[in-house]
Parts: sequence; C-alpha cells; structure tokens
Amino acid sequence: MSSYAYLLEGLTIRRVLAVTAVCAVASAAVVWLFSNTYPDLLVSALCVGYTSMLLFTLAGNIRQAAFPQEAMQVAAVVVGSCLGTIVAGLVKQRTIAQMFSERLAGVLITMGLGIGVGCVVVATLILREKHSRDQARFHRGESERHRLEKNLLEAKLQLMQAQVEPHFLFNTLANVQHLVETDPPEASRMLESLIQYLRAALPQMRESSTHLGRELEMARAFLDIHRIRMGTRLGYAIEVPEALRERTFPPMMLITLVENAVKHGVDPCCETGRITIRAEESGGRLRVSVEDTGEGIRPKKGGGVGLANIRERLKALYGTSASLVVEERQPHGVVASIEVPAAPGA
Amino acid sequence: MSAPLRSPGAERGRVSAVIADDEPLLRAQLRSRLARLWPDLAVVHEMENGKDIDRVLEAHSPSLFFLDIHMPGVNGLDAARAIAGRAHVVFVTAFDQYAVEAFERGAIDYVLKPFNEERLALTCERLRARLSERPPRLEELVESIAARLGGPGSEHLKWIKASVGNHVRLIPVEEVLFFQSDEKYTRVVTGESEALIRKPIRELLDELDPVRFWQIHRATIVNVDHIAAVRRGLKDQAEISLRGRDETLVVSRAFTHLFKQM
Repeated sequence: MSSYAYLLEGLTIRRVLAVTAVCAVASAAVVWLFSNTYPDLLVSALCVGYTSMLLFTLAGNIRQAAFPQEAMQVAAVVVGSCLGTIVAGLVKQRTIAQMFSERLAGVLITMGLGIGVGCVVVATLILREKHSRDQARFHRGESERHRLEKNLLEAKLQLMQAQVEPHFLFNTLANVQHLVETDPPEASRMLESLIQYLRAALPQMRESSTHLGRELEMARAFLDIHRIRMGTRLGYAIEVPEALRERTFPPMMLITLVENAVKHGVDPCCETGRITIRAEESGGRLRVSVEDTGEGIRPKKGGGVGLANIRERLKALYGTSASLVVEERQPHGVVASIEVPAAPGA
Repeated sequence: MSAPLRSPGAERGRVSAVIADDEPLLRAQLRSRLARLWPDLAVVHEMENGKDIDRVLEAHSPSLFFLDIHMPGVNGLDAARAIAGRAHVVFVTAFDQYAVEAFERGAIDYVLKPFNEERLALTCERLRARLSERPPRLEELVESIAARLGGPGSEHLKWIKASVGNHVRLIPVEEVLFFQSDEKYTRVVTGESEALIRKPIRELLDELDPVRFWQIHRATIVNVDHIAAVRRGLKDQAEISLRGRDETLVVSRAFTHLFKQM
C-alpha cells in the first residue's frame, strides 16, 4: 500500500483548504442561479471539488508518457466534475435515474460550473508550476554557466602559473653548470634551447591562440634539453608540413602533451624512447598528435591533470568542435591528439 | 647476511660512496665536485635509480649514499627506506620546497642542484664529522616527505581503457559520467563520447574511488561529480539527471538511501 503513496503526493492540507475555499466562494457566487439553499449548494460544490482534486492529484503523479501531464490533469477535472456531481446527488439520496430525468438541468449546470471553475483553477496551477520550473531551469543554467566560467578561470590561472616547472629549470641549469666545465659548446647549445623555451613559455599576457609553429619551436627546445639530460635514452622527430605551421593553435597545449610523453612515457621505462610530433589537416580539421614509445599508461597511475586543463580550455575556446583523445599505441606507448577546426593564422 | 665485502677504495681507509641520479651528466658533475672537495672519498658505484639497494650494499658496503629524490622507477625516498640506517644518506634535489624544510628541521644532510661549491663543501665537512656515528634513522622524515610529494598514489583506477574501432582509447575516470552494464559489456559514458568495455560493474566497483563513484543500481555506477539533480521517481526509486547529458539514470530502491536528505 505504502508503495502507492506517491500517487497522492502533493495532496497537502493546503490544497484541501484551497479547494474548500474555492468551492465556498464559487457556491456563494452562483447561489442566485439555483433554487437550492447555500449549504445544499456548498455540499454539491465540495463533492465536485474534492473528487476533481483527488483525480487531479492522481493524474499529476501517474508516470506515463502517452499523454502530456497537463492534458491528463484537465481531463481529471472534467471527469472529476461529472463524477463529483453524481456523488453529490448520491449524498443527497437521489437515484441516478432521478438525476438524469427531473434534476437533469441542475446536474448539468453543476457539472458545467465544476468544469469551468476547475479549469480556471487548474490553469492557474499549471502556469504557476511552469513558471517555477522555468525559474529552476534558469537557475540550473546559471549555476552550470558559473561552473564552466570557474573551471575556465582555474584552467587559465593554472596556465599562467605553471609555465615553467622549477624542477625542470633547476635540473637544466645544473646540467649547464656541469657542461660549462666539461663541454662548453654543448653547454652553449643547451643554454640556447633553454632560452628559446623560456621565451615561448614566459610571454607577456598570453593570447588565447598562437600559431602552431611557435608551439612546435617550444616543444623542440624542450625536447632538445631533455635529449641532452637523458643521454641517449631520448630520440624525437617533428613531422609537420611547413604549410601547417601558420595555423592557429591554442597555446601551451602541445607542450603539456610533450611533457607528459617525457615524464610518464619515456622517463619511467629505463630504456630508450622516441617521441614523434605530427600534424595533419583534413576536412577542415587540424589534428596535432604526440606519440611516445614508452611503457604506456598504467590504469592506476595518475597524470591526467594537465589533460583536464586542456579539455576545459578546448571547451571554452571551441565548444564541442574540438577534442583531445588519448590512445594506446601498438606495441607500446601512448598517442595523445588534439583536434581543432582548422583556421589559417592571422 | 655474509660478512660485507670491503671495496678496494674502502680498504685503503677511504670513505666509499654511491651516487644515485637518473641524469648521467649530474652524476658526473657530483662525482667531479666530490673528487675536488673530498679527495678521500671514493665513489664506488653509480645508479640511475634506487633499485637493488641490498645488492649494492652487499657488493660495495658504502658508508654514504647521495640520493636524488626524483628518479624514475625507485626514487630517492624509496631508496632511503631500503637503506634503513645501514649507511648515511645525503639527499639531492633540484626543487622541493617542502622536502628542504623537512630536511632543515630534521638536521638531515641535503644538497641542492645546481650545486653551490661552498654549500657542498660544508656538507662534506659535516659528513666527515658524522661518519663515525651510527647513521640517523630517517623513516619518519621519509614517510612525511613521501606523503607530501604524492607518494605511490592511491590504488584506485584512474584510466579506463576502451576499444574504439581498432584503437584502445584511454579515458581519465574523472571524465566518466556513468558506467552501465549492457548485456555482456559495460557502457562507459562521458560528456562527449561513449565506449564499451568488458570489465563488469562488479569489478569496476572494487577498483574505482568509492568517494567519487557510487553504485545506484545493480547495473549502474555514477560519478557523483557530474550529477545535476536527483528527483523522486516511480515507487521508491529516484531519478538522476546529469550535467551535459539528457539521459536520466534510475536509482533503484536499494540505493535511494544514498540520496536521502541529511
């Protein structure tokens, strides 16, 4: 029994009181139409009102998809008014036959009035509910928008802060310090790469997009530094057609993928590893990928933080028309690729 | 353990040391600096990471380890754990603010990369004075630093591997809205895509972070971070709507208590 209690949900004391009040007022307003006394009319009105209310509540709670809920509720009021009028007649100890012969006029008027008043009440209720639903949807939309804005802001902030990892900087400088003593030309090459990397990584206020060429140079400088630091373990290749270097591309995304490839891909698996950066354009889409031959992603190991940042920023910049996909490479390693709508550089 | 084999360097009364750093140039640099500052110190072994500490201790019985904190595989903190007081330890780091503070508080020897000649000389001097004493116990300090630096991380699933065509796609779990069993597969649904995996709901439940992933139905696990609203539904069930997706999920009776108001 209790499992059907939801059918009566919304049948509150407030609703009962409201229906009672409407019946009292409506009876008072139309009592001059009838030969009946006010109390007699009120009994009829309450029978019609309560029956309609009960059916209206049921109609609002039944889960079905065949008819819109509003239609069900209006139908409930029509049926309720007819049923309620008959109930009122029974309460007054008249037979059904009587109701549909000598008292037919009164019965029809009661039914009509019930339907009329009921529909006005239902329309008011439905409109009010719709309004509050709209309001709620609006608030939900607002909070979703706020959430997206907050995420974007956080992503931007993180971008501004984490451009140069201190670890990377100091370790690189330690290498330079050693090379200055042992292999000055190599030291100078490493410093040059570091300067190039820093120039790309520490620009003024960063625009929302740069061109692919600049991001590639930054990645190259970063990989050059790591190639010296990791000895013979790291090899890399950049396979990007010259024509694509002018394409617009959001900043600091490629370098995140390259960093991941070094840090989570090649670095932990203590042999040699190779990183390949590719770009291709087809069907108006620019796809830039970073592939490593490392140990691959272990399902329980983290490393998606930089990726979440990229996703947020792609969503903010391109909506649903950009994507970041991470895939396993055969026989081992990972390919991460970013796809954006192709746009020639400004 | 058998009687430690004395390495040739140690036999002549010199102090023997091991250097562990994943970058070859930095090992060479420390070695050459130490040769200059501490001629009696013999670097008897070099390591790329902290693997096989027992074997190194047995083969070289060094009295001193220089351990880089960040090394792939077995890092410096893990190596210090393995040494477990059987040799003195000097930590080497490029930038770990918290670790440095902890070292200062715990009076533990450490050096920063790039090396500062004076600082390295001071460390060598202190070590010389301390070598005759028993190596200090580092467990507590190492654990606190390890916890702070992230350590081995939790054992929860962070990536879902799903076949899409010929490729295996890697989906970070935080992007998954929900998992739902679909006959013999499990659907993995994100805001942008959908994939099928073979791992059943039951197994996923054991491996996912229970704070974020809740079972709401025999066949469904939802990521609570993506829930937009929960509504009362048919019978004693509830209905969940998700951010960025029209599909709603049913919370079966057995799980509605998860969403009861506090």
